[in-house]
Amino acid sequence: MKRSSLLAESLAILWKELASELRRRVALSAIGLFAVTTLVAVAYQIGPYGLAEQDRPFLLSALLWIILFFSSMAGLARVFVKEEDSHTAPTLRLAARPHAVLLGKLAFNFLLLLALQVIVVPLYCGVMGLAVASASGLALVMLAGGAALAITATFVAALIARASGSNALFPILALPLLLPLLVAAIAGTRAAVGSPGLAAVLPALRAISSLGGVTMVTALLLFPAVWRD
Amino acid sequence: MTWLLGVWLAGVIVAGLLWAPAAAGFQGDSFRIVFFHVPQAWVAVLAFCVNLVASIRYLRTRSALDDSRAGAAARLGLLFALLATITGSIFAKLEWGMFWNWDPRETSILVLLLVYAAYFALRQAVADEERRASLAAAYAVFAFVTMPFLVFVVPRVYASLHPDLVEAAEGVVRFRMDPRLRLVLLASLAGFTGLFVWLYSLEVRLARVLAARRREES
Repeated sequence: MKRSSLLAESLAILWKELASELRRRVALSAIGLFAVTTLVAVAYQIGPYGLAEQDRPFLLSALLWIILFFSSMAGLARVFVKEEDSHTAPTLRLAARPHAVLLGKLAFNFLLLLALQVIVVPLYCGVMGLAVASASGLALVMLAGGAALAITATFVAALIARASGSNALFPILALPLLLPLLVAAIAGTRAAVGSPGLAAVLPALRAISSLGGVTMVTALLLFPAVWRD
Repeated sequence: MTWLLGVWLAGVIVAGLLWAPAAAGFQGDSFRIVFFHVPQAWVAVLAFCVNLVASIRYLRTRSALDDSRAGAAARLGLLFALLATITGSIFAKLEWGMFWNWDPRETSILVLLLVYAAYFALRQAVADEERRASLAAAYAVFAFVTMPFLVFVVPRVYASLHPDLVEAAEGVVRFRMDPRLRLVLLASLAGFTGLFVWLYSLEVRLARVLAARRREES
């Protein structure tokens, strides 16, 4: 029998997740609706004129990442929790190697976050009157921040899926681990808002990439122990 | 050995409160809390390192004793991190007028407390002992890799009120302290490390006894 490659298995898992999500749209609806509701609440309370001019870059960057972070908490755990809830995890363990499962589900969560960012970031900038000096810098921070967020969230999702009371545990376990990432992502967004060009966002991008790289390697090393036990 | 540890720590308390001379640049005697705050923070980091090693060992050996070691180290780490937070807050009130200033170091130790509180929340959520041990070990290792960012990167990216007792320039590490203050601090570091070793060995012995009792009952 021909043995499939890790890439082919990962893509098959990603395709399964996309097909399942396009059929029922549970995660996208949960994340999207959470984001829009939070955005409306923030815009209603603060709006484009509610902050002093000098405070706007920092506070609006922080609020944007708070919206993205808590919205992601509403749906990213589903990739693993649904496998345990529907008792399909044992079949998946037989069908694919652990790293392919992690990479496929991580790619799905990353795409979900990208979709969220594509909807929320322009909407947020429009509603809050946030002018961005470096659109390419902001795009890079969102891309890197989304990837790093997806790595930690997917690994924590795998952990909590195997514990009882999963949904309540997800933010409890993920929030402290994601705080350094949030700090760097907010700093990068603030730099992209305030300075044209890419030079200003580079320190934050370096921090986000190093954190993302370290957590990715650790997740790959630890995932087989979490998935098989 | 326990009595020696007790005498040593009593000596550190007396030396820290009575023998050590006043330190320049601090309000009154507020600096004396440093003799207890710094060792508590050091022991917390040491305990989290022991937790990491025991967690990695568990993932390799699947020995229940390694899981008990990891749990004991995390419990003590959490306790000493909490004590470091409380003593740090008292120092902050005396020096800067507020118990909590959202200083980067204050924030990073708060996040460490949250990380290891979450570790115990995870342990409590899993009924099966083997699964609990492997999930907790995986979380502990994963959490530990974010620790350098919290403890070393974030406090250096943002301006901090926190005084640095050690300076490293041109590859040479120097204490910014009077020699007597330094001696008391080093003695306290040794004493608190001994206290950790003693408490940790008690916890591990207790875990061994409980495991033996469970085996006898089953």
